[in-house]
This record gives sequence, structure tokens and C-alpha cells, in this order.
Amino acid sequence: MSALAYNFFFLPPIYTLTIGDPANVVAFGFFTLVAIIVSGVAARGRTLGLAAMERARTTESLYAFSRKLAGTATLDDVLWASAYQTALMLKVRVVLLLPEGGGIAVKAGYPPEDILDSADLAAANWTWQNDRVAGRGSDTLPGAKRLFLPLHTGRGAVGVMGIDSDKPGPLLTPDQRRLLDALCDQGALAIERVKLVEEMGRVERIADTERLRSALLTSISHDLKTPLAGVLGAAATLRDYSDKLSAAEKAELLATIIDESERLNRFIANLLDMTKLESGAIAPKVALHDLGEIVGSVLVRTGRILSRHHIELELAPDLPMLELDAVLFEQALFNLLDNAAKYAPPETTVRIQAWRDTASVCLRVLDEGDGIPAQDLEHIFDKFYRAQKTDQVRAGTGLGLAISRGFVEAMHGTIVATNRTDRSGAAFTIRLPVPRQNHQLDAAA
Amino acid sequence: MSAVPLRVLVVDDEPPIRKLLRLGLTAQGYHVLEAPNGKAALDLLDQSPNLIILDLGLPDMQGHDLLKTIRSRNDNVPIVILSSRDDEAGKVQALDCGADDYVTKPFGMDELLARMRAALRHQLQAHGERPLFRVGELSVDLVRRIVKIGDREVKLSPKEYELLRVLVQHAGKVLTHRFLLHALWDDLTDAQYLRVYVRQLRQKIEAEPEQPKYILTETGIGYRLRTPD
Repeated sequence: MSALAYNFFFLPPIYTLTIGDPANVVAFGFFTLVAIIVSGVAARGRTLGLAAMERARTTESLYAFSRKLAGTATLDDVLWASAYQTALMLKVRVVLLLPEGGGIAVKAGYPPEDILDSADLAAANWTWQNDRVAGRGSDTLPGAKRLFLPLHTGRGAVGVMGIDSDKPGPLLTPDQRRLLDALCDQGALAIERVKLVEEMGRVERIADTERLRSALLTSISHDLKTPLAGVLGAAATLRDYSDKLSAAEKAELLATIIDESERLNRFIANLLDMTKLESGAIAPKVALHDLGEIVGSVLVRTGRILSRHHIELELAPDLPMLELDAVLFEQALFNLLDNAAKYAPPETTVRIQAWRDTASVCLRVLDEGDGIPAQDLEHIFDKFYRAQKTDQVRAGTGLGLAISRGFVEAMHGTIVATNRTDRSGAAFTIRLPVPRQNHQLDAAA
Repeated sequence: MSAVPLRVLVVDDEPPIRKLLRLGLTAQGYHVLEAPNGKAALDLLDQSPNLIILDLGLPDMQGHDLLKTIRSRNDNVPIVILSSRDDEAGKVQALDCGADDYVTKPFGMDELLARMRAALRHQLQAHGERPLFRVGELSVDLVRRIVKIGDREVKLSPKEYELLRVLVQHAGKVLTHRFLLHALWDDLTDAQYLRVYVRQLRQKIEAEPEQPKYILTETGIGYRLRTPD
């Protein structure tokens, strides 16, 4: 092109494509040769540049893909990302099959697809069993619609990938085939990683469940049998030695039967509450309530267990009504007072304070016991956890505070345990949000 | 107790509970009829019991259905429900279906006897209200509409007085939120209004509103006015 232009414009006769001077024929020949060589080099350079850019893009995509997979936690997400990425980069349709019940089954696809015909299923199964390529364009079962490749890591096969497209002829170029292998490797590693994490989680859960079960058994056998032993013993003594017992001794045995039965009753109630919490059967029925009213009815219920403690109420007079489930809140507070009755010695004071703190109301139960050892503070609300006591085992179930927390949180409140700063003793603080349209109601009253 | 003992029909499928009630109630001078299931209970209605103690968990029929059937055949006999601890909704439903009161298992005999007395007394009073009600320091003159704590007259708003009057009329009995709302506001169904008035009333008649002596809270159910005994 440029040679012809050179001839037309510069070589006499000008403005024709003929060449007059023979010397110019040589120059023209040389020029043409150079032009051909240069344009060839430039074209190759451009091709090479394009290929390099393409490779860079591919590498970048692969890198992005591997990062994406690394941040993916669930198997479904990993499968979807692998199928999507493969489909996008190779412009093919993708299905992913994972082992299930002795065979393999489709778990993901892009575009979504979950049905394979029998020829494809046979090829996929062959690939899974032999860990080798099968199906369209391969040596094995070439009649299948798709090409199936094994997904494997150093530890073995994890699944099978199937691809197809509407394009006639070979599915993939050798470059694309290498890219597919890279994608398969990445996908296989990610699938394996997620499965390992799941497996570890399962093992951990089993261990947790085992620990909990043994704690539960210890707690139940202790907390059910101790009061029962008291009841049975006292009742049998009354029956067998009635004539040898004084009136005072009989009264004492009867009091034992009643007290221990009530303890048993509280424990069973706790177990029921905990079961409800665990099974998610707690659906708080919230309505606006007067905190003072609930505190009052709790104090009626705790009358007996706190009969040897002094109770001091310090409720701020202007407390707003709160959104609560009265039954749940009463139980949460009951368990705090029950806890105070167990851990604070008789004749000490249990203080119940309530005050407003900007957008929330705080209710605090303070006792005058030994307080909570520092290392127990953060575990005190855990199920079956009992503060370490060196002197004696208290008659606790390790359930009461866990229930308190569960109930308070079900009502969107918080509960924390601290030690008193003014003296020895524990302080439990429940914080509940003040509902927004509260003033209306107070005005209506 | 009167010369002719009052007949109490005990409906419970648990033999130990029936035995306990038979012993306890007989010792108090009641004559006890026992039914282990709903069918037997309906058969025994012919002996016109003066009071029924009904466990809601029966093997042959739903406790609430039995309650309604009993009420359809006898709308007068007091019924005290035996129920489990966590079933506030079931208790409220039973009370709204015509039960007079409830006792939660496990229960003390003294508590059950108090509920029975309140239910029986209310039945006897239904035709003629006593014009003057007294419990502790509190006195309510239903004719002259005067409320006093000791000698001091308490000024109540009309709604507060109305609330107290309804409680007095059913003294000793638990009254559900719904019952009280219906009696006081007719259509208003939000229990929080009731709680606001109860709080105000307590501030006027209770020495310590947070630890009430007269208007007792039945959490999740309603309110009960203390009776003189």
C-alpha cells in the first residue's frame, strides 16, 4: 500500500503507477521489501501484545476468582462461584456434581441446570469413578452432550465438572483447556476447604454437645436427687418412726419435705424454661408494663426463699412504662433474687434499684455476699456454669442466670454481672430500652 | 361448715391428686365426688355439685371443651381450674370460658381452699351485694361511694372508683385483663390502660404501691382483690 503510494506520488512520472527510471525500480523494490518486513513485524508484535494482554486478563480473573473463593464460607457459594466463573471465562454452560448417597448428583450450574440425561449421567459417573475426562470430544462416552472433568486435589477427587456449548466443533482451544484445568483446580481446592471446615465444625459441635450433655447429667443427677433424697428420707422417717418422734421433730421433717419439694419444683421449672429457650419456643408477648408492679409480684413469689434476707427497694418514682413480657421478666428477676438468696448469707440486705438512664431503664439487684470471682464474671450467665466455690457446693442448678439472660435478651434488653465497688457483693444490672411513644400513655392517664 | 356438707366434684386423671384432694377436702368437711375423666365428670353433674375442681389436662377430652359443656348445663356452679405453671394463655382462656379461678400445680391445700371459699362466697353474694366491703385498712361503701384507708377518705377519679368497685364485687376472685377492660371501657382492648389505672389506684390506697396488700397482680392473667380472710 505505502509502496504503491510512494510510486504514485514521488516516482516520475508522478501521478501514475508506472515507474520511468530503472534506478527507481530498484529503490521501489527495496522500499516494498522493507515495508513488507516492517508491517509483518508490527502485526506480529500487535498479536503478541494482544495475547499478552489476554493472558494478563486471564491471570487477573483467575486471581480474583481464587480470592473470591477464599472468602466464601458455604459450599453453595463456592459451587456457584466456580460454575459462574468457568461459564464466564470460557463462554460455556457449566454443571457441578458432588458425591451424594453412593453416586454423584448435580449441585450447581450456570446457567442453573439440574437435569442430566442418562448419557451425560453415565459419563459423569465414569469420570467420578475413574478420575478421568469423559464425554463430548473425549475417548470415553463421546456421545454425551457435555464434557466431564474430574475435580481433584492432592487428597483425592471431590466432584465432577461438566461443560458444553452450542458452538459446533471442538469445545475448547488448547489455551482454554489449560485455563479450564486451572479453574477446576481452584474450584476443587475451595470445595475441599469448605468441606474440611464443615467437618471441623461438626466435630466441634459434637464435642460441645458431649460436654453439655455430661454437665447436664451431673447437674440433673445432683439437683434432682438431692431434694428427692430429702423428701423420701423425711417421709419414710415420719412413717416408720412416728411414735418415737417429738412434735418438733415431726414439724421439722414436714418442713424438709415441703422445702425440698419446692426446690425440686423450681429446678424443674428452670429445666422447662431452658428447654423452651433452646428450642426457640420463646415468643415474648410484649406490652407496656409498670416495672414496679412486676417487682412487687416477684417479691411475693420470693417471699419464702428471701425470708431471712432484708429487702430494700429503691425504685425511681418517675419510671416510664416499659415494653415487656411480664411473665418472662418476672422469671428473669426471680432467678436473680433466687441467686442472691443462695449466695448472700442470711440477715444481709438485698437491694433492688431502678432508675432511668436517658433512653433506657436500669434495674439492678445488689447482694452482700462474697461477690463473683473475677475469672467467673464473663461465664456467670453460661448454662450449667457455677461460680467456683471452695467452701461448699451451693444448691444451684447453673441454669437460673442463663435463663435470666435468655429472657431479658428475648425482650431486647441486656444483662451484666459486676462486683459491687462500695463493699463485697454481686450486682446484676438489667437494661431495657424505653419505648418511644410512651408519653402518650402517661398523658392519657 | 353447715350441717349438710357441700359437694365438691374433683375432675383429675391422676389418682394421687384425687387422693390428696379427697383427704384434704374431706378433712375440711366437704363431700368429695371423684371423676377420672370428662365423661365421668358430665355423668356426675346430675348430683348437682356445689363446686367443681377441674384439671384441664384430661385423657378423653379437651379441658376447655369440658368446661364449656359444664357451663352450658350449669351456668352457676363455681369452677376452680387446676393448671400447670407455664400455661398463662390456657388459664386466661379457661377464665374467659367461665371458670371462676385457678390454682397452679403443684399447689398448697390452703391456697386451694382459699380459692374455693372465694368462689363459693361470690356465688352466694351474686344476688345481694354487701354494701360495705372491708379488708385490712381499706373500706369501700358501695352505696355512698366512699373509699377510706383507716379513717382517711381517699379521693378517687370516677374510673379509679369504677375499677375498685368491680374488684370489690368480685373480691378474692382473679379477674382477667379482658374482663376488667370490658367492664370499664367496653371496647378498649389494650391492657396497658388498665395497668396505668391500677398503678394510680395503688398509689392512692396502698401504703407501698410496689408491694401491694390489696390489689394483687396475677402476672400474665389479671388482678385479684384481697379478701378479709
